[in-house]
Amino acid sequence: MNASPLIHCHHLTKHYRKGKQQVTPLQALDLKVPRGEFLALMGPSGSGKTTLLNLIAGIDSPSEGELIIDGQDISQLSRGKLSRWRAQHVGYIFQLYHLIPVLSAYENVELPLLLDSFSGRERRERVELALRLVGLEDRMHHKPKELSGGQEQRVAIARALVADPPLLVADEPTGDLDRDAAASVLQLLQELSREHGKTIVMVTHDPKAAEAADRLLHLEKGKLLESEALPA
Amino acid sequence: MLPFRYAIRNLFRDPMRLLQTLLGSLLVTLLVMGAGAFNQGMTRMLSASGDPLNVILLGAGSEESLQRSEIPDKAAGIAASTIPGIQERAGRSAVSPELHFMGYLQAPDAERVQILLRGVKAEALMVYPELSLLEGRFPRAGELMPGRMAWKSLGIPQEDLKPGMLLEFEGQSFRVSGIFAAPGTVMESEIWADLNDLRTLTQRDSLSGVTLRMQSPDHREVKLFSTRRRNLELSVVPEQEYYAGLAHFYAPIRGMTWVTALLIGVGALAGGLNTLYAAFASRIAELATLQTLGYSRAAILLSLIQEALMACLLGSLLALTLALQFLDGLTVSFSMGSFQLDMSPGVVLAGLLTGLFLGVLGTLPPALRCLVPPLPAALRSAG
Repeated sequence: MNASPLIHCHHLTKHYRKGKQQVTPLQALDLKVPRGEFLALMGPSGSGKTTLLNLIAGIDSPSEGELIIDGQDISQLSRGKLSRWRAQHVGYIFQLYHLIPVLSAYENVELPLLLDSFSGRERRERVELALRLVGLEDRMHHKPKELSGGQEQRVAIARALVADPPLLVADEPTGDLDRDAAASVLQLLQELSREHGKTIVMVTHDPKAAEAADRLLHLEKGKLLESEALPA
Repeated sequence: MLPFRYAIRNLFRDPMRLLQTLLGSLLVTLLVMGAGAFNQGMTRMLSASGDPLNVILLGAGSEESLQRSEIPDKAAGIAASTIPGIQERAGRSAVSPELHFMGYLQAPDAERVQILLRGVKAEALMVYPELSLLEGRFPRAGELMPGRMAWKSLGIPQEDLKPGMLLEFEGQSFRVSGIFAAPGTVMESEIWADLNDLRTLTQRDSLSGVTLRMQSPDHREVKLFSTRRRNLELSVVPEQEYYAGLAHFYAPIRGMTWVTALLIGVGALAGGLNTLYAAFASRIAELATLQTLGYSRAAILLSLIQEALMACLLGSLLALTLALQFLDGLTVSFSMGSFQLDMSPGVVLAGLLTGLFLGVLGTLPPALRCLVPPLPAALRSAG
């Protein structure tokens, strides 16, 4: 694991208005996540863990503070620039997979590569490699509805890593899976972190899932409570 | 840019919505092309009906309608002998005394219908060079010569209109002596009769007007004649101006066809917006996913426009096929006679532009509404 942090949050705060009230799901949060670390975030509903994940993934912008990822402060980027930044730096894994139903597994995984200038051959090689990595090379022409939940989540993971981003963020990636499928997905995330050096930030409600991570952070009312290193 | 196959596959995602969009576009395009072809056909007929060399002598005060006009019978002879510059052939002046009369005619096995009869003499052939006999010959006493479009007004099949058939007028039978053509003019819907016959039957001793064919489009001599012969109470109207006046008279009808097409189009556009909003709203989470992957809103919007545009243009192409098959050349009757709907290249282009307009304008509001929500909220959308 490289010692310089990939993610550096400094006094990170998020406010938004809900009716006449101002809500602060995240308050002056400081956090460093080293490169290659698999970090789990836990906390009750409304604790701010998903808000933090969305900020780190660049799909939301902080109200205050600095958010430096891979050496770049993304807190001031416009929506368009954040879009381009996400395509190069982040792979997002959703609880409900969010695969595009009209596209095959292969085409879903190929989507992030179409944003870059890869040749057709390069794209094919990368997609096949990603699908091989998640063990679904024999399902590449299946549509999402022809796959099981575990397989869909594996396709989503392949889609998240196909462009080789340094950071993977996962929002309850096992929340909709049965125990075996969940174990298999967690093992895959561990491999991606340990063998491929991916930095992973995962939000979960499941303590068993959190055990797969290198470190566990607890959030409550928008603040970090404790940090817990987990046994390898 | 999103792959084109994404737009194509989304097109067939909900066949009912595709059908709604396609039928909406088909209806609007068909209406626009129908209105365009109607206007084009009517305008073309009225504008083709005037010749710059022809000038009409009508009764003063009746410049707008030959049917209401009355001039003395002698006006034709006086005009022929007095006005210089009238075309001549074999010693005969191109002066056509005419009686225009809306009369009731009945063809065998058909209803009694009101139709424009024009009582003429053989000189009419000198005044209207565009007129040609398709079958038979010019009418003599007891005979009629319908234009080739008169079948529509008579309410009979086109093939039944031929020389030898009998038409009943004012309780008498008239034999059809021939069929004439005068391409694109109102005359093709008229029925011509011998001038003396028509005057006898309508008990008129006057004429409706006299049409003169001049050697040049300069009508000053004719105007001078009408000024000098005030006793004849004549008014001089160039034939082109006469039909331009008629075209102006029918402008509100043409306007109404556009207004009707526009109103139905706006209704269909509102329906289309609703359909497309429903289609896109069910995909808010999917659209947010694409943004999360790094696709810009512009790229997604473009894909949604491609999707709607394909459906709308498909509808427009179907409308075009139907219009060319069933509307082009369709004969439409109105008080002046009949004309054919004209699917000109301009009308076809207007139809295709309508599909394009519906596809783009119909997509923008619902698509933007679905792309605006913040990503975290959109990703939580139930879809």
